[in-house]
Amino acid sequence: METLLNVGQGFGVALMPVNLLYCFIGVFIGTLVGVLPGIGPISAMSLLLPITLSGTPESGIIMMAGIYYGSMYGGSTTSILVNIPGEAASVVTCIDGHQMAKQGRAGPALGISALGSFIAGTFALIALMLVAPGLASVAIAFGPAEYFSLMVLGLVVLTFLTQGSMAKALLMACIGIVLGLIGLDSITAMPRLTFGRLELIDGIGLVPVVMGLFGVAEVLINTEKLIKRDVINAKITHLLPNKADWKASAGPIGRGTILGFFLGILPGGGSVISSFASYALEKRLSKTPERFGNGAIEGVAGPESANNAAAGGAFIPLMTLGIPPNVVMALLLGAFIVHGVQPGPLMITQNPGLFWGIVASMYIGNVMLLVLNLPLIGMWVQLLKLPYNILFPLIILFTIIGVYCSSNNVFDVYVMIAFGVIGYFMRKIGYEPAPLVLAFVLGPMMENNLRKSLILSQGDLWTFVERPISAVCLAIAVVLLVGPLLPSFRKKRELVALEEGA
Amino acid sequence: MFQRNRLMIAFAAVGMLMSAGAGAQEYPTKPITLIVPWPAGGSTDISMRAMAESASKILGQPITIDNKAGGGGTVGPATMAATAKPDGYTIAQIPITVFRLPLMQETPWDPAKDFSYIVHLTGYTFGVTTSAESQFKTWKDVVDYAKTNPGKVTYATPGAGTSLHIGMEQISALAGIKLTQVPFKGGAETNAAVLGQHTMLQADSTGWRPLVDAGKLRLLMVWTSARSPNFPDVPTLKELGYPMVYDSPFGIAGPKGMDPKIIAKLHDAFKKALDDPAVIATLAKFDMVPNYKNTEDYKKFVTEVTNSELKVIESLGLKKKN
Repeated sequence: METLLNVGQGFGVALMPVNLLYCFIGVFIGTLVGVLPGIGPISAMSLLLPITLSGTPESGIIMMAGIYYGSMYGGSTTSILVNIPGEAASVVTCIDGHQMAKQGRAGPALGISALGSFIAGTFALIALMLVAPGLASVAIAFGPAEYFSLMVLGLVVLTFLTQGSMAKALLMACIGIVLGLIGLDSITAMPRLTFGRLELIDGIGLVPVVMGLFGVAEVLINTEKLIKRDVINAKITHLLPNKADWKASAGPIGRGTILGFFLGILPGGGSVISSFASYALEKRLSKTPERFGNGAIEGVAGPESANNAAAGGAFIPLMTLGIPPNVVMALLLGAFIVHGVQPGPLMITQNPGLFWGIVASMYIGNVMLLVLNLPLIGMWVQLLKLPYNILFPLIILFTIIGVYCSSNNVFDVYVMIAFGVIGYFMRKIGYEPAPLVLAFVLGPMMENNLRKSLILSQGDLWTFVERPISAVCLAIAVVLLVGPLLPSFRKKRELVALEEGA
Repeated sequence: MFQRNRLMIAFAAVGMLMSAGAGAQEYPTKPITLIVPWPAGGSTDISMRAMAESASKILGQPITIDNKAGGGGTVGPATMAATAKPDGYTIAQIPITVFRLPLMQETPWDPAKDFSYIVHLTGYTFGVTTSAESQFKTWKDVVDYAKTNPGKVTYATPGAGTSLHIGMEQISALAGIKLTQVPFKGGAETNAAVLGQHTMLQADSTGWRPLVDAGKLRLLMVWTSARSPNFPDVPTLKELGYPMVYDSPFGIAGPKGMDPKIIAKLHDAFKKALDDPAVIATLAKFDMVPNYKNTEDYKKFVTEVTNSELKVIESLGLKKKN
């Protein structure tokens, strides 16, 4: 009952006209930066932070939060239309989303990702309202050993992302891990693979790598094809998902939501990992895994729901413990502090209007996003009709601006171009970029957590088995690895193998 | 925001007209760029923006902030030292890593030669916490336990080679104990680590404040020169018998060879900015303590800090190999 009262109070705050306006501005900018490749929520939020200072803390935070979850909505758009992830969490959406667009089903792909995002976002908020304080303890129960095992599970998931040969995927993963090693060793602060270059001390940025491997490479590969647009010009029959699409997507949306919400609570790239994990899960559960990679709507619905649910889950450790689980949340923490509010265990009791107001505004923001995004689908689809000789230079322009904006560093633009060329050759000889990106993200985190766990356990490897959460993660990883060898799984495995041969 | 921008453009236009008309006009005649080598929106960025805004009013010229992050805050100053003219129109925030990194590896800059130090401004509040459920009630408990259990006490830092790591090692050396560092990435992770009792202690800047206020963490000591007004009961390092202050202090500098008159102008403007109530309020939000040093003292301080850091870095085995 008390919760209901609080929620009512929250809506009172969120429905104030000025807050509604800030919420709208936030989600609108969020959609925009999500759509533009390279310009992510981080650069947009840090640029706009000073503007919010003139208003009340509620308005400022509501707008900042709006940019964040708005960008999660927008990120899938370019993934689907032109195979360029708007932000890292949408990398996996490229795999099937772009295939759907090529088959003339861009509308349903965009539709299911908007609707899936809405459902997941709403669920995450209800969960946030009901269980936020209780779940905070889950986040701190994860120590280095638990993270290590979770990362192992994450890398095992790689095996389900591959469309081609396993050997090629593993090679890509190895390259990703090595690239992730560049920079200061996180335990001893010794520079590794920096070749004496100052720019490499902080390692290579994720944004230039992703933009290069996906965006620039996509443009390069397309420029050599004869400019004939029969695929995309295939008649776009309907814009919204039909009944069959819904039937196929209901399960993935539900599972993606739950998975995303829980992974979002954990520090360290929850939304990226959850989208990959959801894709892998759906491929594993599917009766027809061979459709994945060739335009399966489940492969869009699951990950998109997961990354939006993760965006909601990520607020829990921030608002209840003052612990931001990712960079965006760290920026939001900065916004809270600038407005003179310290997020932490005392915030809900000391500042109930602020806490519940923000939560309620996110609910309203989700509705706004849906209203904003559904009519836009028609427009986005039209975008595909732009001639390539206009579209491609524009894409390159936006990726360069985006990459430069994220760090104000020309070096990152060179990195992006280099990875664009690498990505082009990778595609030519049939190597997938997705395993490389996932390994690039997970590799350094895994190494860091492995070494921290061993420091803490004084070198005892049993720590990974003795700690229950860690043991469960490792057990699931083993089941996933060994499972395919068992007779009951073999049939499914053969189907995948068939696809490999193709 | 738009209006302020327009105002800045107007200022800039007037400045340019004046410089064109009057020839040898007195510095500054055009906007000054201040390189902040951290991402926008962080505590250093926000506090530097507040100081720059206040100083720009005194100088009569806008100061634009250029966020050039990377290399632990060294890429910005290094780029300035290598490329900017020493005309006072490009200056940079100088974090302590600018002195520390050259001790650890080859760098294209020499902190003793490549900068014109202007004014020292402020530093952070660092502290050591433990979980409220921990057996350690005071820092002395930690020392006593560590003496009988060398290497058993673990502490979380926001990264290896950070001020927190080096500070803790200096303290342990003085106390004659051996602790084990567990480097995390940033304050968020160290909070979680000590809260979940994955490590026994946490050494970090004031990201722990809400958790200490809520009674979930216990603050054992602070590393500032005086007690923090927010935690009047918590002793400083000096009170605990360690004659040191550790606050990762920072100031501003330009490229080498700046005109002393220009240095004096910038020094005066930023010194006044430190007294501005708006600046004081912003610094207080991040528990940053003003730590003014004039140009001469700042130069001396650079030599001192380089020498003291060298000792610790050598003892940690992080010193660069010649």
